[in-house]
Amino acid sequence: MGDFSKYVSIGDPVDSRTGLDKGVIAVAEKNDRVVLVTADLGAQGLGWFLKNAPERIVECGIAEANAAVVAAGLAAEGFIPVLSGFVMSTIARAHNQIRQSILVDRFNVKIIAREGAWSEMGISHNYVEGISATRGMPNLVIMTPADVTEAEKLVAAALEYVGPVFVRTESGQSPPPLRIFTDEYPFSIGKAVTVKEGRDVTIITMGYMLTEAIRSVEILEKEGIDVRIINMSTIKPLDEEAIIRAAEETGAIVTAENGVIIGSLGEGVAGVLAENIPTPMVMVGVDDEFSQSGRITKERDELKDHFKLGAADLASAVRKCIGKKAKK
Amino acid sequence: MINGEELIKQLEEKANVVRRNVFTIFEGTQNVHAQGHVGGTMSLIELITALYFHHMKVNPNDPDWPERDRLVLSKAHCCEAIYAALVEIGWYPKETLDTYYRFGSPFQGHADRWCTPGLEFSGGSLGQGLSYAAGLALAEKMKTGVLGEGPTDYAKKYMAQMIVKYNPTYRVYCILGDGECHEGQVWEAAMFATRYKLDNLVTIIDYNKYCIMGSSNDVMPIEPFVDKWKSFGFWVTEIDGHNLRQVVDTLSLTNNLYGDGKPKCIIAHTVKGHGISKWEDIHVHFSRGEVISEGLKEGRVKYG
Repeated sequence: MGDFSKYVSIGDPVDSRTGLDKGVIAVAEKNDRVVLVTADLGAQGLGWFLKNAPERIVECGIAEANAAVVAAGLAAEGFIPVLSGFVMSTIARAHNQIRQSILVDRFNVKIIAREGAWSEMGISHNYVEGISATRGMPNLVIMTPADVTEAEKLVAAALEYVGPVFVRTESGQSPPPLRIFTDEYPFSIGKAVTVKEGRDVTIITMGYMLTEAIRSVEILEKEGIDVRIINMSTIKPLDEEAIIRAAEETGAIVTAENGVIIGSLGEGVAGVLAENIPTPMVMVGVDDEFSQSGRITKERDELKDHFKLGAADLASAVRKCIGKKAKK
Repeated sequence: MINGEELIKQLEEKANVVRRNVFTIFEGTQNVHAQGHVGGTMSLIELITALYFHHMKVNPNDPDWPERDRLVLSKAHCCEAIYAALVEIGWYPKETLDTYYRFGSPFQGHADRWCTPGLEFSGGSLGQGLSYAAGLALAEKMKTGVLGEGPTDYAKKYMAQMIVKYNPTYRVYCILGDGECHEGQVWEAAMFATRYKLDNLVTIIDYNKYCIMGSSNDVMPIEPFVDKWKSFGFWVTEIDGHNLRQVVDTLSLTNNLYGDGKPKCIIAHTVKGHGISKWEDIHVHFSRGEVISEGLKEGRVKYG
């Protein structure tokens, strides 16, 4: 099936959080300056820290505003704080603290925060606007991993990069992504990766949506549609060159994200295309709406159905986009 | 009396130098208007003077000296007082005072650490400074404890003599406004400082009694202020923030208390717009136009 990259080897779904843990630990083992700053929530690599370096855990209690600025202070003195939690609390509650005390000074703080367009947790925790809310913030790199392997490499790269980074992860209750990348996959901040070659249309995905895009290939191949898939794991800065090349070579772009489209991947890609190479486009994502609780079983995912974020939905977005391309 | 009379006299003279630098900033010869956060800046003068010109370890040749004491001005709208001191230390030429508010100037309207070496904290959004200072103070302890970067040779010598248990590589001072203590984050940070026994952290409240809309206790009561800080686990004392003798003696005292495991809080009673009758009368906050220019005239007569 399909002309996949040599760095892709599709496997069963697996929770990508184990990759996040490994990425943090890999750097923390080598560098004593990596510290965890938590606000009464678990953190990536917590188990390792508890066992090997409990003195490098800074617990702030349920006080996220303070946690963000304490992290800034630690970074000012050369530490590499990993600030963990929900997008809801870690980022949204402390938005101005992150801006004023971390980003203004380009402090080396790593924010790893989870959100989900879907989970059973409901409207407060199913944060859908995390990337949209942060993408306008100067000095901030924003990334989100698509699978367990990329999670490990991406987080390790984030910790080794000097400067503030927001790693947006899926909620623990989101459906797990497929295992997609091989261990040889070379991750690089700011660089989009062509997961599958194709001529007719390009799907640009972020995070979990790469899984749904890969699942849509089977449907589309039966219809004779040769789809290209690009994984845009760095949302800021966007890999403009990759977007423009995809537009030149396939002439149609579909974006896919499990969050609000406004201010996020969809609008970001649209902006690059509008300025450089206006191209027929369809944006898949959450359309200006909060989420809610929804049951996720093997047979049915109520929220994925509601938001139309499944492989079949992507396939119909692709058909629609090809239709636009034909009219052009 | 911990410190000698001569020192107080010298510091009083220094305070006047700082005041004159502040006036130059307010006069803003390169700007359209004379302007500034005059009220909260004038209430800070003695505190800033005592810290920078006596109490804190400062290296005139290197603003980034790793062993320097850190001063976090949380009420960063009054950064004029800091700029005045940075010039007097010698980190910036005197002409820089005239560039306040101008594009590209290191003396920005609100503190921006990135473009102002020597400045410790980018404030302006109130309530964050104590958290940042707590981060710096915790880092000092972690560098020693976690990274094995021991205290300085100076400290080791004194440790051997059992004068102090252990001298920190640096101390952290944080100046908060009283109105700023309406911010919930201040109290999050206070809990944190106690939780981590940050006895290398000294919080100083510039209690000038007024915020923009009136008395800070009418707008939203902060009293009983001493009890609040005590109940959060701080060592607390009250002083007259314009009395340099009390300021320097109290700061010296906090040094001697190092090792008790408690963060310190000095509540400095001050007067908004201190020293200038017009500004004192109206508890001026930010000002431009007649109010500031008349006050500046009075200030120049009084302080030179």
